[in-house]
Amino acid sequence: MNEQEKIRLTPAARLGKWLVSGPPFLFLLLFFVAPSIIMVLASFRYPGEFGALAPIASADSDTLHGLTLETYEFFFSDIIYSYVFFKSFLVALATTLICLTLAYPLALLIARSPKKSRDLMVLLVVLPFASSFLIRVYAWMILLGPQAALSQVINGMLGVFGIAQVYLLFSPFAVLVAMVYVHLPFMVLPLYTNLEKHDPSLLDAAQDLGANAWQRFWQVTFPLSLPGIFSGSALVFIPVLGMFAIPDILGGTGDMLIGNLIKEQFLATRDWPFGSTLSIMLTIVVLLLVWLAVRLGRTRGRYA
Amino acid sequence: MRRICLLLSLLSGAALAADELHLYNWNNYISAQTIERFETECACKVVQDYYSDNEEMLAKLAAGASGYDIIVPTGNAVESLIRQHALRPLDKNHLPHLKNINPAYLDTAFDLGNVYSVPYAYTITLLGYNSQKIAELGLPSDTWAVIFEPRYLEKLKGRVTVLDSQRELIAAALKYLGYSANDVIEAHWQQARDLIIRAKPYWAAFNASSYIKELTVGDIWLVHGYSNDIFQANLDAQKAGRPFSVVASLPKEGAVLSLDSMVLHNSGPRPDLAHRFIDFMLDGKNSAELTNLIGSGNPNLDALQYVRAEIVRDKSVFPDSVQLRHLEMLRDLDRKQRRVLSRIWTEIKLK
Amino acid sequence: MRRGPWLWAAALAVYAFLYLPLVIVIVYSFNDSRLNAEWVGFTWHWYEVLLHDEDMLLAAGNSLFIALVSSSIATVLGTMAGIAMQRYNLRLLSFMVLTPVAMPEVLLGVSLLLFFIQVLNLTLGMISIILAHITFSIGFVAVIVRARLAGMDDSIFEAARDLGATPWQTFRHVTFPLILPGVVAGWLMAFTLSIDDFVITFFTAGVGVSTLPLRIYSMIKIAVTPEVNAVSTILMLLTLTMILLATRFAPDVLKGKA
Repeated sequence: MNEQEKIRLTPAARLGKWLVSGPPFLFLLLFFVAPSIIMVLASFRYPGEFGALAPIASADSDTLHGLTLETYEFFFSDIIYSYVFFKSFLVALATTLICLTLAYPLALLIARSPKKSRDLMVLLVVLPFASSFLIRVYAWMILLGPQAALSQVINGMLGVFGIAQVYLLFSPFAVLVAMVYVHLPFMVLPLYTNLEKHDPSLLDAAQDLGANAWQRFWQVTFPLSLPGIFSGSALVFIPVLGMFAIPDILGGTGDMLIGNLIKEQFLATRDWPFGSTLSIMLTIVVLLLVWLAVRLGRTRGRYA
Repeated sequence: MRRICLLLSLLSGAALAADELHLYNWNNYISAQTIERFETECACKVVQDYYSDNEEMLAKLAAGASGYDIIVPTGNAVESLIRQHALRPLDKNHLPHLKNINPAYLDTAFDLGNVYSVPYAYTITLLGYNSQKIAELGLPSDTWAVIFEPRYLEKLKGRVTVLDSQRELIAAALKYLGYSANDVIEAHWQQARDLIIRAKPYWAAFNASSYIKELTVGDIWLVHGYSNDIFQANLDAQKAGRPFSVVASLPKEGAVLSLDSMVLHNSGPRPDLAHRFIDFMLDGKNSAELTNLIGSGNPNLDALQYVRAEIVRDKSVFPDSVQLRHLEMLRDLDRKQRRVLSRIWTEIKLK
Repeated sequence: MRRGPWLWAAALAVYAFLYLPLVIVIVYSFNDSRLNAEWVGFTWHWYEVLLHDEDMLLAAGNSLFIALVSSSIATVLGTMAGIAMQRYNLRLLSFMVLTPVAMPEVLLGVSLLLFFIQVLNLTLGMISIILAHITFSIGFVAVIVRARLAGMDDSIFEAARDLGATPWQTFRHVTFPLILPGVVAGWLMAFTLSIDDFVITFFTAGVGVSTLPLRIYSMIKIAVTPEVNAVSTILMLLTLTMILLATRFAPDVLKGKA
């Protein structure tokens, strides 16, 4: 089709192509590609004495200047930074799995509802998602507070069994709950779009062949929904990986993720080169993941 | 929506008409009445932007923020700004009320001779606690041991928060270990780190400032926090009719005193108004207003007569001369030290 | 039968999980206590406080202005990108459009911060925020518009061409009316993203200009009063109205979002 397209393009159409693709291309070249290159460059520079960056060139040999690999050496010389990545990875994985578990029944129900009510049910998923992100996080600050009903109930039950009281707010638990809460719609929507397309006659056929509900789900519905699962997982996993606001607001004494570390380099520590290095490492991880998700989605999709 | 837009255009219209003084200040660090009086006196408008910590302010300035006549940084940030040549020297002929400042707060290490800075107010980083709970548990309240030693913390598990600030927390640990808050020997930092990591399992959170609310509600019983925040928590607790008070206490090992000073930023277009503002704030009455509002320490001797008596008596706001000797102001760290500290902080957070 | 009771129960529980926190926020905006901890009594007080909070209103105004400008520009650029991606199969453009959507926000924020300061020497403020918001919104608009185009039969465009329509006429009278719901949905999406954005704004805002999310963040971190709940409630009403309008005006919005 691409070939045909090329043959058919008249000069006017070619002009049209440039007119249509030119402006967004130039804008993104300037405000996405160029900043990314600047970030790569920044990771090879020295931090300025007071923050920002030391100059690349300087006539005065006393001032620190030039390009260096020191931030990369620093990163790799110390296992702790890889550990931050590993930890963020675990949090993202947990969030994704919980989101999947919660989103699946909901998406399935919506997909199997009469056409009329589907739009409303989807709207109900999207609505809370349209209220401010920070407010949704803040809501959990109230809900998980020690005076709130939830903590009272849980601690009441623990009390019966003589187990020590738990403090829900400012804990990894609080971080996880908010992560799931904020990203859940990203999982429901792609799942629903996928499940909606399934042909119900497949399930009928399976039933005729004697498959029970459990078998029908695992052998028909689930494999068919894998592409939806992969795209939903990517939409949840990646943003969680870079999140800093939720650990900042709800985290306890141990909740530091890569996002927090990067933010810290640009604020408290004023070490822009190292912050850039961490950002580049994160970019590489994310690109690998996207590539993996696309590949998995493709092969599995073909399979199904 | 349209009404908001209208309101906005009115607001910005009014702002353009008058002379403007641009003030980059801490959140909630000046009384609205003081601003109003100054605006009437100078027939100008005060435009404020806010920051919630020094690092944020320095980062924003490093990122090119400009146009500020006055900034109110803490000592170490003043030092950093001076070394960056970002400040304008003061013209003391225009500051006749400078004589009101207590000499103990002048001529500090970060700005010898006060070439650039005039003390505004101070806070002390100390212990704040729930009077009822600490009494019930029979815990000491005059030593950092209570937030670092497991033998005390066992009774307080999950009820303690410490500041989410690398410098402040390390400084408290260093003080407890008997070092200077400004100690930069890496081995000492590591000792401080180990002390913190040992105590960490007992703490509920590293908290930037929502501990004010947690203290008031009664969820948190002991904090490492700023004196004016603890003052606020106590006011709130009294207002809400809580059965306890929130008390600030200065540990005997010493603590960090953060002296915030008014400085003129290079980028400010109105040094004339800025000098008027500084001298206005040096007036005891104006200066006292802030202390009465938020319980900040006041370096202005002339202000004392206007400060409410119970605040003057409060040793955590106005420490006596013996306590004063144990207080230290933090110095600025250099590039390498900042990176080492950041690494130690990462370790603390992860372990 | 295929929507068994267990499925209903699970789905309802998830709906409850989605809505409970928001209900709490709304309820507590009427609570007559500074503390947001226990229910004391009903009051309008926090809405009055909000009405007199000049900084908050200013931030709200900024947010609206930024959202309007950035979403409009992003819609134009994103629609172009969507059409170009669908029609010409441009790999590089697709990569450039889709990557900012896929990246964790913190990365875009940080790289734009570096770029604005190091290269453009731009004082951070309104302009830098708007440019940043356009950058991350283009991809969303493009995806929605492309999805809309992908569902169409190419023969309509060929028919228009065969009837002698110039490319512009084809666009004006055939393509544009057809993709309009997608464009509107894209604009709404960009508007919502912009008005809600915290992370990228956090890095590109400088100090002179505050937006609603920045203001809310500093209130959450510093002094939480039910004023935050009040402003949240109003914001929710606003977005709710917008979404309902959108579903009326362009029923395809939801499909676009999905």
